[in-house]
Amino acid sequence: MSNVRIEDGEGIMLERRAVPASLGKTAPGKKEGAGSIFLRRFLAIHDLLLDWYGIILLLVLWQLCPTLGWIDGRFFPPPSTILAEGVKLVLKGELPAHVLVSLQRTLLGLAAATAVGIPLGFVLGGWFPRAARFLDPLLNLLGQINAFSLFPLFVLFFGIGEIAKFCIIFWSCLWPILFTTISGVQGVDPTYVKLARSMGSNGATIFARVLFPGALPSIFTGLRLGATFAFLMLIAAEMIGASTGLGWLVHNSSVNYLIPRLFLAAVTIALLGMTLNHTLVLLERKLVRWRVRNETA
Amino acid sequence: MGGTNKESGHPAWRHLNKLSIVLFLVIWELAPRAGGLLETFIAPPSLVLKTLVEFYKSGELAGHTAVSFFRAGAGFVVAALISIPMGFLLGGGYRPFERVVNPVLGFLGQVNPFSLFPLFIIFFGIGEVSKVAMIFWVSFWPILFSTMTGMKGADPTLVRSARSMGAGVFTLFFKVILPASSPAIFSGLKMGAGTAFFMLIAAEMIGASRGLGWLVWNSQINFQMPRLFAATVLISLLGLSINGLFGVLERKLTGWHRKSLDGVR
Repeated sequence: MSNVRIEDGEGIMLERRAVPASLGKTAPGKKEGAGSIFLRRFLAIHDLLLDWYGIILLLVLWQLCPTLGWIDGRFFPPPSTILAEGVKLVLKGELPAHVLVSLQRTLLGLAAATAVGIPLGFVLGGWFPRAARFLDPLLNLLGQINAFSLFPLFVLFFGIGEIAKFCIIFWSCLWPILFTTISGVQGVDPTYVKLARSMGSNGATIFARVLFPGALPSIFTGLRLGATFAFLMLIAAEMIGASTGLGWLVHNSSVNYLIPRLFLAAVTIALLGMTLNHTLVLLERKLVRWRVRNETA
Repeated sequence: MGGTNKESGHPAWRHLNKLSIVLFLVIWELAPRAGGLLETFIAPPSLVLKTLVEFYKSGELAGHTAVSFFRAGAGFVVAALISIPMGFLLGGGYRPFERVVNPVLGFLGQVNPFSLFPLFIIFFGIGEVSKVAMIFWVSFWPILFSTMTGMKGADPTLVRSARSMGAGVFTLFFKVILPASSPAIFSGLKMGAGTAFFMLIAAEMIGASRGLGWLVWNSQINFQMPRLFAATVLISLLGLSINGLFGVLERKLTGWHRKSLDGVR
């Protein structure tokens, strides 16, 4: 087995042969020729770029199909048109305005849900576990309620305005954050707590040094879930009842058959969502440095 | 979601916590009686129940529910039928191919389905097809990704030991990999079904003339609170039962997986 290595590409079904270990490496004692240095560097770059080939291919296809007439360009504009439209809207200042409005609404709802959900989660999970158990079925039930079906209710209560949108975003993020905080707090290894207590820590220290960091990974998962969900609901809410924001942009473009603008809005929404998610991941990595993450965002 | 702690101590505790739901129902029932805003905007459970029964009798309930289920079901089933095989192909093998395709899939799966909805309507018109397409899109990704994860998570030791006993590709697939990945696949199916139903309601609220989502929106426009509450309650109950159904299915078909793990631990 020593002169054979299982290549990284061992698939469950397809790869049946192992690759000889000598591929790509020089035998000891031989001077490495220029050709094989080049080969190795090329393979390394190729390896790095591999992740991007698919997206590049997709973009190329997307650019070619409408331009060459394979797909109706009116319904499926190529990236160049979308980009042009994007530049136009940015120069007019419209696009940044919409992005800002949408982002603002999302973050406001998210912040409020965090401000309520995390403390509540800690209180329920840590101080009153009996109360948590008592409320558990009710909370589960409430969290299951389709946030969508609540939207008309909120609109009726508060009218079609910022409050209704805020409420729906708040509601959508609250449950993931609350539940993950509760489970995070309850998941902290009780040994740590006992250890801290045995060293004479008071409640505040235990909270700040043991409970809070221990629950943080779980909380962040909830935050990411909540943020994704909130952003989703926001776009929907903006489509139904708003006059600014990216969701409104989508709706308005579709109603006026401004297809490039529609695609632009959709792409912007996707990119914004990814940025939001990524920011949270980075934040988590900074704050939870001690935790080894074995899953990628 | 929530804590799944085993209830320790007095057995009565287990049933006592359902009390919170009962308490909630009581408050819900009494609040509108206080009059004022509460009365205008909130329909108590008794009224909701009455409305639901009327619905059922008039056949409206069955009609709307059937339409909703058909849309969600069609989209979901088609999504499952396509994404599971695709997940097998993508998860099973060739690493460079995966590395090329995965980022694309990841990006596509991230696209906000609501922004795609107008596109679907433009492509397919305001009809059943656009909604079913929407449901298809939304349920496709969770199932695909879970299937891929399940495939990759199959214990390589099992695979190698099967191969060492001379198993061919088909045996390997059906006897080793498929069972090993079925928990993940089922979890994906459950998530996909939940998401499908959720998006269905959204799609029906935005552009439909029948179905449960339409019922909610229509009730809101006409300020018919009992109908609104009835539809919301119904939707929530249906969502819960779909989740529960898949949970039961999951346990029945992949229960062996958990049992075998329990034995090891």
